[in-house]
Amino acid sequence: MVSVEFEQVNKQYEDGFQAVKNLTLDIEDKEFLVLLGPSGCGKSTTLRMLAGLEDVTEGDIRIDGMKVNHLPAGARGLGMVFQSYALYPHMSIRDNLSFGLRMMKGTEKLDADEIAKRVKDIAQLLELDGHLDKKPKELSGGQRQRVALGRALVRRPKVLLMDEPLSNLDAELRHQMRNEIRRLHDELGTTTIYVTHDQIEAMTLADRIAILDKGELQQHCAPMEAYHNPANEFVRSFLCKHIDDLVDTANALFKKPEEVGE
Amino acid sequence: MTNSEDMRWWYVPLEIVMLRRWLVAAFIMNVLLLTVDYLRAESDLLLLGVLTCVLFAALRASLPNVNDHVRRNISLVLSAALLGIAVYRFLRIEPTIFNIWMHCWSLIPSGLTLFWLSGRPVTVWTSRKLSDSAIEYGLMRNASLSKMYHATSTHVTLLHFVAITVIPLIWIIDIAFSEGNALGGQIGDSFTTEHFSKILNGDSFWTWFRNSLIVSIGTALLGLFIAIPAGYAFSRYKFTGRDASMFSFLLVQMFPGIIILVPYFLVMKTLGLLNSHLGLILAYCVTALPLCVWMLKGFFDTIPRELEEAAALDGCNQFQVFTKVVLPLSTPAIAVTALFSFLAAWNEFLLALTFNTSNDMYTLPVGLASLISSTGQAWGDFAAASLLVSLPVALLFLFFQKFLIDGLSAGGVKG
Repeated sequence: MVSVEFEQVNKQYEDGFQAVKNLTLDIEDKEFLVLLGPSGCGKSTTLRMLAGLEDVTEGDIRIDGMKVNHLPAGARGLGMVFQSYALYPHMSIRDNLSFGLRMMKGTEKLDADEIAKRVKDIAQLLELDGHLDKKPKELSGGQRQRVALGRALVRRPKVLLMDEPLSNLDAELRHQMRNEIRRLHDELGTTTIYVTHDQIEAMTLADRIAILDKGELQQHCAPMEAYHNPANEFVRSFLCKHIDDLVDTANALFKKPEEVGE
Repeated sequence: MTNSEDMRWWYVPLEIVMLRRWLVAAFIMNVLLLTVDYLRAESDLLLLGVLTCVLFAALRASLPNVNDHVRRNISLVLSAALLGIAVYRFLRIEPTIFNIWMHCWSLIPSGLTLFWLSGRPVTVWTSRKLSDSAIEYGLMRNASLSKMYHATSTHVTLLHFVAITVIPLIWIIDIAFSEGNALGGQIGDSFTTEHFSKILNGDSFWTWFRNSLIVSIGTALLGLFIAIPAGYAFSRYKFTGRDASMFSFLLVQMFPGIIILVPYFLVMKTLGLLNSHLGLILAYCVTALPLCVWMLKGFFDTIPRELEEAAALDGCNQFQVFTKVVLPLSTPAIAVTALFSFLAAWNEFLLALTFNTSNDMYTLPVGLASLISSTGQAWGDFAAASLLVSLPVALLFLFFQKFLIDGLSAGGVKG
């Protein structure tokens, strides 16, 4: 059982900017939660606080009931996929995948055979078998994306964090990877937190979405519920109106010529 | 654009385009070369030189436009006059390599202008009748010749730069292989390796060489040991006094070395580090550090933070993030920095001369200088030794060439 809780979490940067205000949020085991909001709404900061890349100014973050505010990033048992992939350019794909395993400490420490086996498994799962000895720059964008995903998953993280992982891909690949991410989640059952500003991505991927604006949580529920019962004006315009507009545009485009004349 | 009235404004023969640029270059070069005539104190040649410059300026100004056959005729007369003067001057001088080169700067431009202006494309262009087909043909001709003409001007320019760097080198090689210890004589008039064998068989050279090697490698290593962490800290951490201390690094560079010389000497004397390798290493490190730190900081800045964050999530502590991710990515920059501090120490003269009083502790530059000052002026030995000193540096550059380009044009990790 894995659960993540944010309790009254605040984040204030040194220049006084309040990025996250009184955030209280819970993520259940095996859940796929999407943090959705316009840029600057604090969704990335929230994720980075959980990852241990930003200090928490106030409040508690708990994983499995244990407070992790001051635990180093590597000790929290998380995996993260970055927007820029952040693959180690000087290492082969194999080394990129195994790096986190080789860094494990104490009772978690793995022997070489186990590491090789896990890398092999994850490469198979993500269809990277043929590329293990290549360097990241020899791979295409989609392949790099899968390596980044593999590097996060290979450590069997308690929670998988993704920070706008698809925004560097073209539309075709983005669609394909979106399905793949959801498929992986259903297959592995890893609790996942996914940050995006793309409403469609959020609606298609999420079990529940958390909509943020100006550092404050606006609504936290299943995606269709948010669409049908927006909690406030912001959610209505940011989510509902955006989707309706998209649907209208598509309908207008594909209307038959005779219907247009009517 | 069907109208030929309009179209003719878009067509200029390549010759004219090129002349507009090259005549400016010729004018500037001839003005500069006036100095040579002036120094030679031959007043009539100097007068002709001045006249050449004036005529070049006039020629550049009179270059014709489309349909302008009057100006074309003026240009023709001017370039013919220039060519005449150039030939006259050429016949008056001694035919040394330098003189020939110098007068090529008036001979070739004037001859070329005369040739091109009287040629068919320009004649047609300046005549009253310029048909559409002539324009079409001219544009096609421009396109096919353009690359060649541009390459020519690029190569002529580059050749001059190469000559400036290579000629002193050729000179010193010639002296090193010439008999006797005097300067002068023609290039390649005698050949001997006596200077090399004398230097290589003497004890002094090898002592100096050893000293230089110890000091330079020591400087490079100690410099890196300090500069890498410093550069990383400046690049990644915010702390009080960060900007101030980075600026203070530059402060030392703003004074000429001779100002620091006396305080350095006193410090070294107090510490008892005169006539020692360590003293020189410390002093060189201090002078080389600012550049090294700034270069490395600049390189570390290009390594994305997300890489380090990924490493942190993979379970690295701060030190491991640095050694396993940042350092391996920085090898080109580190190699370049090491090379720079090595070279600075290898070539430095003033501090080495001041700190070391005994022949046993001389570094190569100081040793070389002693060849000239003490027992007469052994130019041949000096030149041979100079070549031997530059040999390791040249090898280093060859070896580090790839790194150097990578490191200087750093953009680390894109892709």
